[in-house]
Amino acid sequence: MTELIKTPRTGETLPVKAGKRTNPLANVFDELVRFAQSRSLFMLHYCTGCGAIELPPSMTSRFDMERLGIQPMVSPRQADILLVTGYVSVKTLKRIILTYEQMGSPKYVIGICSCTVNGGMYWQSYATAKKLNDYMPVDIYIAGCMPRPEAVIAGLRELMENIRQGKADSWKDYYRHYDHYLGHQQRLFGETWQTPTDVIAEARHYGLFGPDTLGTHTALLEQHQRPLEALEMKVDIPELMARR
Amino acid sequence: MRPENYEAQRQPPSHEYELNIGPNHPGIEGNYAFKLRLHGDRVLEGKADAGYLHRGFEKLMEGRLWIQNLAITPRICVPDPVPMEVSYCLAVEELCGLEIPERAQWLRVLQLELSRIAAHLFTFGGHAATTGMYSPMFWGIADRDLVLDLFEELTGGRVYHIYNIPGGVRRDAPDGFLDRVRSTLDYLDSRLPDYDNLLFTNQVFVHRAKGVGTMSREQALEWGVTGPNLRATGLEFDVRRDDPYLVYDDLDFDIPTEEAGDAWARTLVRRKELVQSIRIARQVIAALPSIAGPIRCPIPNPLAWNVPAGSVYTRVESSKGELAWYVVSNGGERPYRTHVRGPSQMHAVQVLEKLSVGCRLEDVAQTMFSLDACPPEVDR
Ligand code: SF4
Repeated sequence: MTELIKTPRTGETLPVKAGKRTNPLANVFDELVRFAQSRSLFMLHYCTGCGAIELPPSMTSRFDMERLGIQPMVSPRQADILLVTGYVSVKTLKRIILTYEQMGSPKYVIGICSCTVNGGMYWQSYATAKKLNDYMPVDIYIAGCMPRPEAVIAGLRELMENIRQGKADSWKDYYRHYDHYLGHQQRLFGETWQTPTDVIAEARHYGLFGPDTLGTHTALLEQHQRPLEALEMKVDIPELMARR
Repeated sequence: MRPENYEAQRQPPSHEYELNIGPNHPGIEGNYAFKLRLHGDRVLEGKADAGYLHRGFEKLMEGRLWIQNLAITPRICVPDPVPMEVSYCLAVEELCGLEIPERAQWLRVLQLELSRIAAHLFTFGGHAATTGMYSPMFWGIADRDLVLDLFEELTGGRVYHIYNIPGGVRRDAPDGFLDRVRSTLDYLDSRLPDYDNLLFTNQVFVHRAKGVGTMSREQALEWGVTGPNLRATGLEFDVRRDDPYLVYDDLDFDIPTEEAGDAWARTLVRRKELVQSIRIARQVIAALPSIAGPIRCPIPNPLAWNVPAGSVYTRVESSKGELAWYVVSNGGERPYRTHVRGPSQMHAVQVLEKLSVGCRLEDVAQTMFSLDACPPEVDR
């Protein structure tokens, strides 16, 4: 079944496929898959702020997150959870957004610490981004300054439960309201901001392209977009020979 | 991904390449990046890329009351927050000419030493993990948690305590607290032989750490190195002994040194400091019951506190090195200017850049962890 959706900016109509499920066992499979997903989570090992100091205790012997099936993972491509542990300075936020866009769906974001909720201690700092929610959808917030390992684990358990029930779908929001998130990112990083990921094409691919995916900000993005060039390398042959 | 961005392009053969480590990398201590230029696996040049954790502390503090600033000072250095608080309090006390009650001074020393123990246990784990050994990390963090439990009992917070206040400390030690400190210290003491077997005499570790990131004493002095890293080059310098603050001149402790100046020596110095910190903490426990008196001297209304004009520089010895506050007051209710002299800023930027030249790629992470640099304090 194909739906036609009109984009607000150019007025063109785009076909969007809405999947139709014919397999009678589809719901059973879904539940099984969701259960499996919720019990095997890899979280990205990226310590963004001071809340990260409570993660080693929660991952190691004493609180032992691994018994819940949660393990740290070093590469964003294989990770399921992005933990944002504390304040994010503008320089870090760029990396967080790049990392988030590289992660494969379904992906979940947890904001640890009050600083991700509303700026916390640094509400009047010139260097930090205050609300993480403006730049990427967040599944769970764990407030506290800093939250204890028990709180971190409670938050993760809630996320697991949400995944099992199919409620943790904030990542879809990023595709559906990409224009909104991109607008906030552009406000902070300037209007030439771009990432190597084509979020709009991904939204189409996942069937999550909605009326709010495109807008004035994505138009700006299109205007400034330039293809990334592969890095050129210079080799100084005489110097190399001399070194040898 | 847009396919046009990822078209394979023929690259000329090259022996020299650039590599970014961090900010999202398990071999980096916290949110910090390091750019390397390599030839094979030899580092030709290293460049530190800081600023991921910048919050603008010094500016933030100018906009807050003297007492409000207490809440953000420990956040400058996350693994070892107590020296930050204490030295800020010492600065304000010196500006106001406050005389701190003796009991409060002893309680502060107890905190400082417990915090040093916790920070060193954390560092060993990190350093061992960069050489491929993960058990010390699990052990160190589990034992550090025992110290954090003591902090929680004394101050109410595991990591950030905000227990010190200009004029003293916030509350007295609870009943039976000293016994629990004593039993934890005994336990940590009994664990040291295990740590020796697991890490400090482990041939894997010794072979990996020996000769990595060596600096001479002259270089260390020139680059502004302090703390255990300086003592690992053989110079016996410790702010606790050479510029005593609080009650350190009444205490009996040694200053361990090593001669080699490499990653191995730096770790050994910390290992020996652990013993000394336990020794100091035991002396404090023995002395505290006989010291009666208040824990705080009277201070003016903290919400309308005009600190007399002047400028002070107070320094303490943190687990990373010499840590100091330079505080200027113009007689107002907010600081006119504050500046923190952190040890990690030297260690993580200029020292790491110089030490990484010529070392192998796999030893860069080890060098960083052996310097025990703390990125939040580099960036503030
Ligand atoms: S909420 Fe507190 S502990 Fe967490 S990042 Fe902010 S200041 Fe640090």
